[in-house]
Order: sequence, then C-alpha cells, then structure tokens
Amino acid sequence: MAATTPLLQVRDLAVRYSNGDLALHHVSFEIKSPSFMAIIGPNGSGKSTLVKTSLGLIKPSRGTIKVMGYDSQKKSGKIRKLVRYVPQRDRIDLAIPMKVKDIVLMGRLLKKLPPRFATSKDIAIAKDALQQVNMEELWERPFPELSGGQRQRVLVARALASEGSILVLDEPLAGTDVESQNLIVEALGRYHKENDVSIIMVTHDLNPIHTLVEDVLLLKNTVIGLGEPCSIMDPELIKKVYGPTARIVEHSGHRYCMTHDSGIDRHD
Amino acid sequence: MIDIIQIIIESPFLQRAILGALLIAIVAAASGTFLVFRGLSFMASGVAHAALGGTALGIFLQDSGLVPWFDPILGALLFSVLVAAFTGYAGESGITQKMEVAVGVSFALSMSFAVFLMYYIPPYRVPQIWGYLIGDILLLNDLDIIMLGSTTLLLAVITLMFNKEFVYVSVDMEGSTAHGMNARAYHYLMLIVSALAIALATKAVGAILVYAIMVAPAAASNELVKSVRGVIFSVFLIALIAELAGIATSFVVFVSPSAIAGILAALSYILALQIKRLKEKVDVDIDDPALYPDDLKVTWIQSLSHEHEDEHEH
Ligand SMILES: Nc1ncnc2c1ncn2[C@@H]1O[C@H](COP(=O)(O)OP(=O)(O)OP(=O)(O)O)[C@@H](O)[C@H]1O
Ligand SMILES: [Mg+2]
Repeated sequence: MAATTPLLQVRDLAVRYSNGDLALHHVSFEIKSPSFMAIIGPNGSGKSTLVKTSLGLIKPSRGTIKVMGYDSQKKSGKIRKLVRYVPQRDRIDLAIPMKVKDIVLMGRLLKKLPPRFATSKDIAIAKDALQQVNMEELWERPFPELSGGQRQRVLVARALASEGSILVLDEPLAGTDVESQNLIVEALGRYHKENDVSIIMVTHDLNPIHTLVEDVLLLKNTVIGLGEPCSIMDPELIKKVYGPTARIVEHSGHRYCMTHDSGIDRHD
Repeated sequence: MIDIIQIIIESPFLQRAILGALLIAIVAAASGTFLVFRGLSFMASGVAHAALGGTALGIFLQDSGLVPWFDPILGALLFSVLVAAFTGYAGESGITQKMEVAVGVSFALSMSFAVFLMYYIPPYRVPQIWGYLIGDILLLNDLDIIMLGSTTLLLAVITLMFNKEFVYVSVDMEGSTAHGMNARAYHYLMLIVSALAIALATKAVGAILVYAIMVAPAAASNELVKSVRGVIFSVFLIALIAELAGIATSFVVFVSPSAIAGILAALSYILALQIKRLKEKVDVDIDDPALYPDDLKVTWIQSLSHEHEDEHEH
C-alpha cells in the first residue's frame, strides 16, 4: 500500500452547501493510481460536488479528501498543478468571443505564469489535441458558434493539450451523439494508456466507457458502490440508485445498464 | 485643416478635451470590454453613481469640519472601490446574476446616501454633486487630466499584462481556478481597477457620458467582432470617434458634446444589431442546391412512400 500513493483517498467526507443542502455525507473510499475511474449516479447525487471538493473549489464540512496524497484544502496548489479539469459544459460562458484555438490553448497557458504567451510548441500540441477529437479544421472558428457536442469535444481537447497527470472531466459525454462519444472515449482511452495519466470522469452513461474504466464509483449522496464496471453493473445496486425501472441487459458479453437517466435505447 | 490645428493650438481647454476623449476611449476599451464580456455592463453606471455618493460624503466631511482634509474625490474613489469589492464578493462563484444584484443594491444605497447628505451640505456645494451626473468634457482642468491620465495608464498596463487572465476568469472561472490560476485575485483586480478608472472618468466627464461610452461601443463590437483583441480595438475606435464628433459638433451647434457622444455611442450599438440581423438574413437566403444531395432526397421520398404503403396494409 505504501508503495504507491492513491489517486483519491477520501475519509468521512461531508459537504453541505450554504443553503443547507447536504450534497455528500459519510463518503469514504480509496482509488489506486493510476486509474481510469468513472463516477456515476443520478442528477443531484453529488458527483460534481465530489469532483469540485477534490480540487479544493469547495470546502468540506467534515472529513478530508486527498488527491495523490495532497489534502484538498491545505495543498490545493499542488493538486492544481497536477490536474486538468473540464467543467460541466454549461459552466463555460459563451458571451466572450473566443475562438476554438483560444479555448484549447487555454489548457496550456493556464499552467504558465503571466504573460502566458503561446509558443509554437504550444500551438503544435493544441492542434494535435484537436486532431485527436477530429476538430482540427475548426481551429479558427468562434467557439460560441459551435454545436453543443462540438464544444464538448473542444473542451476535451483543451484537457488533452494541457499538462498534468490527472484529467478530471465532468460529464464530457453530455449531449454528444454516438460518433462524438466514440471519438472522445477513444481519445481518452488512448491517452490514458500512452501517457500514464489518471482519468476521473463523471458520467451518466457507463456503457460507452465500460470496457476502458477500471474503477466505478456509484454515488447517491454517499457511496453506494465501488468496484470494477461489472460488479457495479449489478441489478440490485442499480435499482437502489436509479429506481425499480432500471435494468441490466447482457449483450454480446457486455452488460448494459438501462435506466431512464441515461436513456439507452439501443436497437441492435 | 490648418484652421482646426490653429484652433487646437490656441485653446488649452480644447487640448484637454481631446486628451480626455482619448483617455476615456482607452478606459472604455480596457474595462468596458471586459465588463460587457462578463455581463456586467450595469456596473459602469453603478460605479459612476457610487462616485456621486462618495463625493457627497467628502463634501460633507470637509464642510462640517469633521475631516477637513478629506477631498471629495477621495470619497468618490473609496465608494467606487467598495462597490467593486462588494460586486466581486457577490460574484466569487462566477455567477453574473448575483453581481448584477449587488450592483443594483449599491447603486440604490449610494444614491440614497447622496440625497440624505444633501440636506446637511451647504446649498452652494450641491451642484458639485450633480456635476458628477452631467459633467462636461470641455471643462476639464489640469488636475482632472493628471488623475485620469495616471489611472488610465495603470488600467492600460494592467490590462495589457493580464488580459488573458481577465478573459479566462470571464469564460471559465471554475476551470481556471482548478488549473492553478488565482482566478479570485484577477476577478477582484479587474473589477477594482475598472472602478477606479470609471470613478475618475465620471469626475471628468460625468456619469451619463461614462455610461454611454463604457457600455454601448463594447456591446456593439461584441455583436460583430469575433476576437477579444478585435473587440478591444473596435471599442477604442468607436468611443474615440463618438467623443471627437461630440466635441466637433459642439463648435458648430450650441449643444453639449457629451450628449452628442452618448447618442452616437448608443447609435453604434443599434447599428451593430441591424448589421448583424442583415448578415443573418443573407446567410439564410443562400439556397445552395449542393446542400441537398439528391441521393438523400431520394431516400427520403422512398421512405415516405414506404410509410404510405404500410398505411394501406393496415
Ligand atoms: N452551488 C450550490 N448551492 C447549493 N446547493 C447546491 C449547489 N450545487 C449543488 N447543490 C446541491 O447539491 C446536490 C448535489 O449536486 P451536484 O451538482 O454535485 O450533483 P450532480 O451529481 O453533479 O448532478 P448532475 O448529474 O445533475 O450534474 C444537489 O442536491 C444540489 O441541489
Ligand atoms: Mg454535475
């Protein structure tokens, strides 16, 4: 155990918002490093809250959360050096005339000190990241004029272009079609394998990534389950979280979870 | 042409007015742009009115003999910084609506405060307070220019150095913080330096002109220009042209230069909206047959006819 520092180490964590909402309580778990982990759970189950708390953006009301051994409150500076973060898409303000290239370069420039000039190396890396999500042609396009799924891909490229051994993505697959999903998932999977980085991904739909993920955390304001995708894809667990209508189906050796949330409606 | 230069050389008040116009165009480009990006255009007027409340306080303290050395401009600066800090505090999470509310509250508070103090200020000094609303670019004195000039310089240097940070704070505050940028510090820096410049600009040319020049050109540019740098440059141009046109007009017709500049600036926004609408219309009018590949059309018609067949079978 002492040999490698865990990616996440959470002890008796509770987060209460100022309006009294108890978003998380009695959360304790540990994830080894490196890992490709998914956090799943219904709307309002505290997924984003957990992620933001781990980055020191929210102060826990009780307990601690450590990322690579660094405490989220005391050592947030160290954590933020390691992390590249993609917030939920609706957190990006579209009133500012940013081009696609500006958004992707942001991932690199944020890790520098002012005046944060983009070198030709930065530009090459940013272009390469866009290529990985098949968006290199939109380099000069205004970001606010892209479709939702395209914006999501650009944000993933922003994370890929940046530096740091942990990628944190909050619902990178929201509102994307199957093609975009596959592109994003493949890019992330490839990146995880080739670069020895950990990926923490919040998602509503495990199906597109369940062959890649190593650890799945099932949340409903507290830990309901933690384990490999197959053990989490357990009918009883899923029902507990998503209600009695949720089902698991097996299809060509894979388990698919069918809930109203993820709206899986595969006809094949 | 020679005549105009002759007139400018001979009249120092005109030189000050032109210099003032230039400085205010810089303030508009540097802070108006970012305020509009953040959806905070209302803050320009909030700060301008806070300056008015602060001036009232300054005059009161000076005149009542409580704090004789307290120049009214100190009150104006103090109040505008307080408004900026309060607005910043309300918006630390990056939510614009909360900042708008904070601006509204401070607006009301400073105006009430000003009106409250007016009862205790000798009547001959009351116009000095209202001067903050109307102002006149032709009446600038050397001290105005020096103060406005140095703050504008500070604002320009800070914006040149940290424009990326200001943009990042506006686009994605959470993400910027998570990547290790001290977003909170830049958030406050941007608001406070803008507030200082706006307060001094208000003292120099009046709240109405400041509001018009600070918001309308930035809003107009943001409709049409597709890059941050382009917007900043375009704001500077629109603001400067509007102000110079105002000054020039006031020589021909008997009219306040601020009024003309304000009207022109506002018109620039309306014009931008019209241009944008026209552009969109042109885009829709394009009826390129290449956009409808024939084979797709055929498939569609086929599937339609299949549906009909199905219906017959039922
Ligand atoms: N800023 C906030 N202020 C107050 N309460 C909040 C805030 N953000 C979230 N909450 C509450 O905390 C709980 C968890 O929210 P959170 O955003 O973490 O859920 P989530 O699992 O990410 O949901 P989603 O799938 O919709 O993104 C919810 O009950 C929500 O109402
Ligand atoms: Mg969420």
